[in-house]
Amino acid sequence: MRENNKKIQPIKPHKMRQPSKVMKLQRLGSFHQSKLSFTRQLINELQFNNSQFEISEWNIDQNGFGNAVIQTVFNNNTFSLVVFCHSIDDEERSDRVIAEKWDMTFSLFIGTPTKIELDLMSKNLKIQELGRHLPKQLTLSRANKSVRIFTKVLDALSNGEQPCKADINDIGYLIRTTAVYGNGKFGIGDFSPNTDKSVLNKPFQAEMLTVYLIRYFSIELINFLAEKKGANKSVKMSDDIARHLGVGNATGLGMAPFLINHQELIHQWINTRETAISRVLSIKSINKNTQKQIITYIEQAYRYTSQWNVDDVIQTKRIKTLNLDLKNILNCKQLNNLLNKNYPLKSLCDYFINKISLETEEILYSIFIEPFPQLIDDLTKQMGSREKKSVFVGYNVKEIIQIIKENYKWALNIDISSSDENYFFWYTSQAKLEPRLGVTLKDDGYQKQLPFDISHQVQKALKILIKLPENMTGSEAMINHPEIRNIIRRVIINKTSPYSEIQDNLVGRDMRPIDILRCKLSFFGASKYDPKSDLWTRITLFQGAPLPHQLQDENACDWLFPYLSDA
Amino acid sequence: MLTVSLNEIYSETYKALRSLEIDWGLAKDCANLSKWLANHDQYFLGSLLKTADLYKEKKLSVSIKENNLKKPLTAALMGLLLVEYVSAKKITWEGYLHSPKFMLASMSIIAQEQNISMVLKNSDSDIIAYTNKKNLYLDTNNFNNLTGYFFLETYDFNQNYNPLSIVLNQKTEVSKINSKCWDRLSSMAFETYVPESETSKSGAGY
Repeated sequence: MRENNKKIQPIKPHKMRQPSKVMKLQRLGSFHQSKLSFTRQLINELQFNNSQFEISEWNIDQNGFGNAVIQTVFNNNTFSLVVFCHSIDDEERSDRVIAEKWDMTFSLFIGTPTKIELDLMSKNLKIQELGRHLPKQLTLSRANKSVRIFTKVLDALSNGEQPCKADINDIGYLIRTTAVYGNGKFGIGDFSPNTDKSVLNKPFQAEMLTVYLIRYFSIELINFLAEKKGANKSVKMSDDIARHLGVGNATGLGMAPFLINHQELIHQWINTRETAISRVLSIKSINKNTQKQIITYIEQAYRYTSQWNVDDVIQTKRIKTLNLDLKNILNCKQLNNLLNKNYPLKSLCDYFINKISLETEEILYSIFIEPFPQLIDDLTKQMGSREKKSVFVGYNVKEIIQIIKENYKWALNIDISSSDENYFFWYTSQAKLEPRLGVTLKDDGYQKQLPFDISHQVQKALKILIKLPENMTGSEAMINHPEIRNIIRRVIINKTSPYSEIQDNLVGRDMRPIDILRCKLSFFGASKYDPKSDLWTRITLFQGAPLPHQLQDENACDWLFPYLSDA
Repeated sequence: MLTVSLNEIYSETYKALRSLEIDWGLAKDCANLSKWLANHDQYFLGSLLKTADLYKEKKLSVSIKENNLKKPLTAALMGLLLVEYVSAKKITWEGYLHSPKFMLASMSIIAQEQNISMVLKNSDSDIIAYTNKKNLYLDTNNFNNLTGYFFLETYDFNQNYNPLSIVLNQKTEVSKINSKCWDRLSSMAFETYVPESETSKSGAGY
């Protein structure tokens, strides 16, 4: 596939989409996984490094309780997933962050843990946030069995049958994580872009590796238990079914503050995505094979959406629209003509843009960047960021006001005196330090709110700035008015990182936190978003990804939009 | 002693300061300075807690114009702003500073990030620290963390400064800190969390 377009040379780069278009919650909440997603990047790295996997310890009993260690070695570095499986009652099983017991707890460890380290982890992993963890632990996680499917699959395999594909597709995972902590939380190792652990110096690769190994463990576990239960009658899960199993995750508000607190990083992610889109839209022509590939990916997306079933009414409607849009695109008589035109992908976009939903538009961009690794793969190196602690000293008051007027028009247009625009507030709950959304004048905690009322802060800062001498340095303005430092920092960052600010009122009545979650999850590589409310969603990671023994297969890294045949 | 990550130091620090209603911008600045000190194997927690206590008692100033020996400017909260201010205006600032070690962190950060070199002098105009080419140089014999009168200015490349020792860039990945002090910091941070109630559960989406 890669050879078809070796000599592509984009001419006349297509202008990147403006932040005022991209950084709206409704669009951010329509993003899909793509080649740039972190799960995809991890698989590429594992394949490139010819990573090996080994179960170095397996002390699981026939009931599925005990511990295990799964190791992977790549680039001369060993990483161990330490697993503990616990006995819990059904009533104790909960997806909530505030749960205190889980079916399994995990940690990704650098190197091979000693007996003392394993012993320490056995005491602390099961209490997660309440424990003290080792710096050699890169992540901290826990998961529960998907009760619906785990028993069904076990019964089938132990009886010598493959599980029902419809059931597999309906759920998509055997176990579901409820948190994957990284970057120094609770004493584990800090994320370090300078580490010599080369694969893990990109954002979230430690977390992705953890989840990939959890997936591997879940399949090994079910096969092991089936053998214990069914003895000679049992069979192992087939590869095509196993490959369609990912790891579920219940994603709640805990993820939302990240997108607001890490401006430069979010800019890097979105800027990279927009750069990729711009590059492919700039391609002047594509050969027949690549045209066929594009159509194949659209077909894949169509089949994927046909198998994407959720309970949420809004999301069901969006999926139906998406599915129909893709069908219409495939059936469109102009499709081949458009792909034959100059700037075919841009032509395709322009032709359909007013006929399709946001979700469809964004899924098309994920499709468009897929067949062009030579244009896209280098971009994965620029998705990290060194976030600055100081505020750039080079601006004066006049320039800062100008930035606000240009880049924060959206904020200035919000009526911050209106009750609707002050409807919510964000705060951290004492219960497991979970971020939550409160309703102003109704819920407690308003005085402890997190500073996510960006539009309000911008307007208040502007009122102060316009009274100051124009040539006063920004630093002097802040030192005399420290209360505006937080927002001025954001404004100055936004000048050089224009995709760093969500351009909607994050405390307004119309704000749906699920859009924030979905945006971040798309960069993770999540699929099958299954919103349970405006505040949390279930997703699947690594569904369709190659299993460890398939990593060196041809097309192993080609797994956009997982689909299970005959499901 | 307790081992904590740099990320924990950052988050507990700014939350603890927020419990005193210190502005978000200053709280985060101080958190970054604390993290820098920890990352360079420098004690910081005692000074940080002292800063919190004195701030609460209104014995610290957050004004560059109004500070004296009894109410010095807090380097922990204002250090980063001060180095930005001095370098933007290309002036010399002089005044009383509490916990000047936070100035070392501030000077180093702005040197690393914005390539701005600065000089810190004591009341006798002796250089006690400076940054040059992103390195921090410290007169370890004459530097202490006591409140005093200081001069802060941008580095003059036409001047010859006496060579001082480079602060060893010992980038530790974890910090060993006094557990009692950490408990105190954590309990302050805890005050910024909202107690759970039945209605608040709906704000988590379940």
